Amino acid sequence: MSFLGTIRKFGIREKFVIVVSLVIIFSMTIISGYLIRRQNEIYSEELANRGSALVANLAYNAEYGVILESEEELENLLEGFSRVDDIVYVQIRSLDQRVLAERGHKIYAALICSDSTELTADADSPTRIYHTAEDGTKILELRYPVQTKRQEFSRENLGTVMNYPATGTESNMETIGEARICLTMANLGLEITRSQTASILLTFMVVITAIIIMTAFVRIITRPIESLVNVTDQISKGDLDRTVDISRHDEIGLLAESFNRMIVSLKHSQEEIEEYNRTLEEKIIERTRELEDAQQQLVQSEKLAGIGQLAAGVAHELNNPLGGILGYAQFTLEKMEKKDIETLDEKDYVSFKRYIKDIETQSKRCKAIVQNLLKFSRSSNKIEFQDTDINQVLRETLTFVEHQFVMKQMTLRKEFDTTIPIIQGNPGQLQQVFTNMLINGLHASAAGSEVVVSTRFLPPLGEFPGTIEIDFADNGVGISEQNMKKIFEPFFTTKEVGTGTGLGLSVSYGIIKDHNGEIKVKSILNKGTTFTVIIPLEKKSLPADKIA
Amino acid sequence: MATVPNILIVDDEEVMRDFLFDVLESFEVDKARDGEEAISKLSEKKYDLIITDMKMPGISGEDVVRFAREKYPDAKIIIISGYSTLFSVTSALRCGVSAFLAKPFTIKQIRTEVAKSLNTESGENVMKA
Repeated sequence: MSFLGTIRKFGIREKFVIVVSLVIIFSMTIISGYLIRRQNEIYSEELANRGSALVANLAYNAEYGVILESEEELENLLEGFSRVDDIVYVQIRSLDQRVLAERGHKIYAALICSDSTELTADADSPTRIYHTAEDGTKILELRYPVQTKRQEFSRENLGTVMNYPATGTESNMETIGEARICLTMANLGLEITRSQTASILLTFMVVITAIIIMTAFVRIITRPIESLVNVTDQISKGDLDRTVDISRHDEIGLLAESFNRMIVSLKHSQEEIEEYNRTLEEKIIERTRELEDAQQQLVQSEKLAGIGQLAAGVAHELNNPLGGILGYAQFTLEKMEKKDIETLDEKDYVSFKRYIKDIETQSKRCKAIVQNLLKFSRSSNKIEFQDTDINQVLRETLTFVEHQFVMKQMTLRKEFDTTIPIIQGNPGQLQQVFTNMLINGLHASAAGSEVVVSTRFLPPLGEFPGTIEIDFADNGVGISEQNMKKIFEPFFTTKEVGTGTGLGLSVSYGIIKDHNGEIKVKSILNKGTTFTVIIPLEKKSLPADKIA
Repeated sequence: MATVPNILIVDDEEVMRDFLFDVLESFEVDKARDGEEAISKLSEKKYDLIITDMKMPGISGEDVVRFAREKYPDAKIIIISGYSTLFSVTSALRCGVSAFLAKPFTIKQIRTEVAKSLNTESGENVMKA
């Protein structure tokens, strides 16, 4: 793992060289191993063949020496054989295992003797026996029987024995002794060592050559890459005036070309960004101012629209009592003009009293309406928090919008929780919110349906500060899931262009936020919507300069 | 005229009903507090003149006018309304009413319109539908 880790740290060139060298060394080891083994086999076989020929020759020539048991004759014969390369020991034995003659080191004689006590040699092929001498030298022993032709053999025909046909049948042949020779394999070992040295040297040379070629070749590839890396580094530091100077037609050349194109477009983009950045701040300031102006205007127009709605309600509310006042005042005057004060009878007196009573009642009604209106206009201009009774604010709001519900034959059901405590709030602004909620419910609902306004008080508990919740529930068209996300966004409206400002809910949201509260919406398409205004009991301190 | 013309007043505002009742004491006057009552009264008998508010809970003045026009084509109709928008005036006139009065109106205005409406028996239409 750590070896692999080390390799990973190397550059391409080092990796290449290491991998190729390993491949070469591995291949060379296999090839040389095979060749050396093969050479070893060939050499061994050759040695054995040579030895076989020699021992057969020795046995053949030893025939008379063995028959005559002539030590001198055999010694002469062995003298010649012992001079042959690789032969370290030669021996001739009689049939009864006596050593008739020997030549060479005695240690080999001991090796042979301890090994075999019987004549085992076969005339067809020499017996091969491998020994290892005490000094570690490998020895090949070859045995061959010394044979003669029994019948023809006599003192008389001694001189002509050579003329006998060589292809005598085996039955004619009689084993009379054995020739043994020992061949050293030391030269073979030497030969193998030499070959191994040569292979190692050769491998080394091939590896060196390969490294040199590889280095040169890899450099052809890595040099442009290094140049690319260099330029990339410069570019990352912001110097976009650099380009890659490689003119080749291969893949690397194409890479360099596209890299240069990239630099150009990068430079272009950077210039654009810089240019944009320079002007962006100015644009942002300008646009922000424009948007603020536009929003201010729209908030103003939403207020005006609200006032318009209110004015219509107020007009209707006022015109009825005013009609009565005007009518009865004129009627009374008319009657009084027709009669003298003296001629007024009891019946006239009762009528006048009723007329004037009506005028008083209707005037009081007008007064209440005007007071409501004044309260609304006074408090909605500034964020002034005062003791506020939510139920009362709702009641006052309802007087302005109730007739619109009546006109659409809709029912407005009130379910007020009378345990609601007085909170710190702005009645005028809350009235604006409630008006908006009610008008929304009105517009969303079909004629004849019902809108329920309910209040409830959740008292404080532990960390929970206690809240007042006001529900506005209708059975109207509902709000689709996609519109639900946008209803509090300024300027979002589903009404026709020019009908709504799309600011009602966003202004309401802002007002309730000022009260530290929130507005929640639950809606099912074509089933209805419930807006819940939640106002916590906690008093919220507001910046004094904030003007609605 | 031998018979006193009868008038139906339709308004959801009590003070308006009472006032009109007092002003028109020389006629035979019935009162209805909403469209529903007006229609039931109209079904019972014929009125020479119907004075009705436009915007009322439930059945609107417009429906009352339509009903009366169908049942008694020669009956006169005066609209009184707190909403004196151009739309309500035109829609009222289109329904074939004699006059439109915006609240608050004077005694003189209502008397004039009532007189005008009831004097057209000779075939002279002051306000054409």
